[in-house]
Amino acid sequence: MIWLDPKVDLANLALVLILGSAVATLWLPAAISVAASAASVFVFNWMFVSPRGHLNVEVHQDALLLISLLLVTWIIAALMAVQRATSDRAREHARQAEQLRDFGEALRDSPDPLDHAELLQQALSDLARGDIMILIVKAEMPQADDIEAALLLGRPGSDQLEGLWHCVRTGKPLGPGTGRYSALPDWYFPMRGREATLGAALVGRGLTRLNSEGSVQAGLRSQAQALCDQFGLAMERAMTARAAARARDLAQTQNVRNAMLAAISHDYRTPLATIMGAASSLAEQGARLDDERRERLARTIMEESTQLSRLTDNMLQLARLYAPGMRLVLDWESAEEVVGAILRRVRRHDPQRRVRAILEPGLPLARCDALLLSQMLDNLVDNALKYSGPSLPVEITVRRQNANIVFAVSDRGMGVHPDWRERIFEAFQRGVAAQAPDAVPADARAAQRGAGVGLTVCRAIARAHGGELSYQPREGGGSIFEFRLPEVEPPLVARESARSGVP
Amino acid sequence: MSLRVLLVEDDRGLRVTLRDALTVEGYKVYTATSLQEGMLLLSNVKAEGGDADEAGVDLILLDLGLPDGSGEAILAAVRKRHSIPVVVISARQGDGLKIDLLDQGADDYLVKPFSIGELLARMRVALRHRGTYLKAAVTLYESDGLTIDLVGRQVIQDGVTVHLTPTEFQLLARLARSAGQVVTHRQLLNDVWGAEFVEHTHYLRLYMAQLRGKLEADPAEPQRLLTELGVGYRLIEAAR
Repeated sequence: MIWLDPKVDLANLALVLILGSAVATLWLPAAISVAASAASVFVFNWMFVSPRGHLNVEVHQDALLLISLLLVTWIIAALMAVQRATSDRAREHARQAEQLRDFGEALRDSPDPLDHAELLQQALSDLARGDIMILIVKAEMPQADDIEAALLLGRPGSDQLEGLWHCVRTGKPLGPGTGRYSALPDWYFPMRGREATLGAALVGRGLTRLNSEGSVQAGLRSQAQALCDQFGLAMERAMTARAAARARDLAQTQNVRNAMLAAISHDYRTPLATIMGAASSLAEQGARLDDERRERLARTIMEESTQLSRLTDNMLQLARLYAPGMRLVLDWESAEEVVGAILRRVRRHDPQRRVRAILEPGLPLARCDALLLSQMLDNLVDNALKYSGPSLPVEITVRRQNANIVFAVSDRGMGVHPDWRERIFEAFQRGVAAQAPDAVPADARAAQRGAGVGLTVCRAIARAHGGELSYQPREGGGSIFEFRLPEVEPPLVARESARSGVP
Repeated sequence: MSLRVLLVEDDRGLRVTLRDALTVEGYKVYTATSLQEGMLLLSNVKAEGGDADEAGVDLILLDLGLPDGSGEAILAAVRKRHSIPVVVISARQGDGLKIDLLDQGADDYLVKPFSIGELLARMRVALRHRGTYLKAAVTLYESDGLTIDLVGRQVIQDGVTVHLTPTEFQLLARLARSAGQVVTHRQLLNDVWGAEFVEHTHYLRLYMAQLRGKLEADPAEPQRLLTELGVGYRLIEAAR
């Protein structure tokens, strides 16, 4: 300005001063910029307004100029301050919204929000740098304030712990500015679900931003409350889901138990009666029977025992498959080997070689439990042999289709009545067939009898593998049972070079 | 002198039936109802025998579900000193303990219920392998047109030499050394590929398929290289 002094008049110098103080208010806080502009107006008076080097003003016009100068710079400072406060608030809101969203997403991805209690602690400590303590009721609200029934993060004093419990029980925030227990040194926020309060968080005062006054404090408080409520809702959701799963498990267990009782009362009696008859005949009439009859009786006992053994395996497997937390023994299995093992077992009861296997070449390895898969195929083949005429063929085919490995067992038997095509898989329907035999077509009854829980087990095995077992009528008569097992890319095998063979 | 069998089985019905059946076949049968009794019998019967180092029995039939613990204790005690064959009788198909015992040196296993015929066949194979832990390994396998010369590393089927890759041959040789007995996945992977491969079942599947392709008339219904699902493989017993 000193440089400009000889070149421009006083009015223009004043404009330069306004420009300078406007630029300064961009960075300086409101109070400082007000003081700075006042100071600069005095300096301006001293240096440029005649008489120079004096605070006196000679001309009235100059006095008006100085006063306007002062007012304009103050107004600019005030406007800037308001503007800055508004944008700060907007930024803070955006940040809080983002925090809520991130927190919500983290909670949504987790089956048990309890695992994320630390996340809540973290989010709250972003708001306030004081101590954060969290109390979460694990399952049921205890009668007394029992710390065993809750998850506690942080080390609250006994007053603080009492405050947390009080907050959980009342479901209302406590602490300064909340209108409840305003004299408390800390804030307490409840984690509210729709129905109940499932926990509380304590935000210690310490060096917190919550100490700031008025609207800012209220904003941070409501943000803390929003975070806590979000957590409470997530907990409530998880609890509801758990309760539903428990109810489902219970219903399923009940169903399996019913099926087993039905099976035991029905399916076990027939082979047991046959064994009893044959064995008692051997024991009591043994001497009077010729060798051929004796051997036939003994063979009958063996065959019926095999049937009972299969029934028992199925029953055990069913119970195991429906038990909560069941795990498969998954391995890389070759379809060819599993089918080969089935064939070997089947041949003992299949002297005429009715069972044929047709495997598509180049099948990938299957990711499955070999024993379960073989149990399924064994049941299906056994049924097919039983329910189709004594000379009719039974086929096991394995092929690839739409990223599935498809195991199919087909026969030329009488097939299954359309009404029963789904129900044959439901062990629980057996009771209906047994109680009201006239209401059920004869062929369906036949398919039901003896199959016992076999098909139910087969379907349970299929589903445990993430696949499906379905029935289709076969063209030209007969049944096809198809198990679709999703393909999984097998790991690579380091091949040896073909050249280095054994001579 | 008849062969002596120690039968450790807690179920009375099965114990009596097996004892009778084995006695008819000419075995001398000692029975025990618990692990403890089995161990006791093992040491006492030994005292009767002339040679102090010689085991008192020729074969042990071991049930897994015993009232006083698993059969592992007996197997460990037996394996510490003797090469007596041990055949495990298991109640369940998917019994992890059974595979553990096979890995620890049991000779074979049977799943209840089983027929006497099956039991006698398994016992015969186990007895034939008696002493392989001490004696020199099998050097020649011959069965139904298939000859495996383990020393000359040659495989001949129906008079024609079969070309195998080194890994295929090692796998076949491992099975041939235990012909008639089940060899677990773990044992095969460890012996053929090495200890770091024991989880790589997919290697076995691939090489077994290759072997079957070369040695079986119908690989989908193998007659020589049999699969014991969930356990391992078995090369059928050599012809005598």
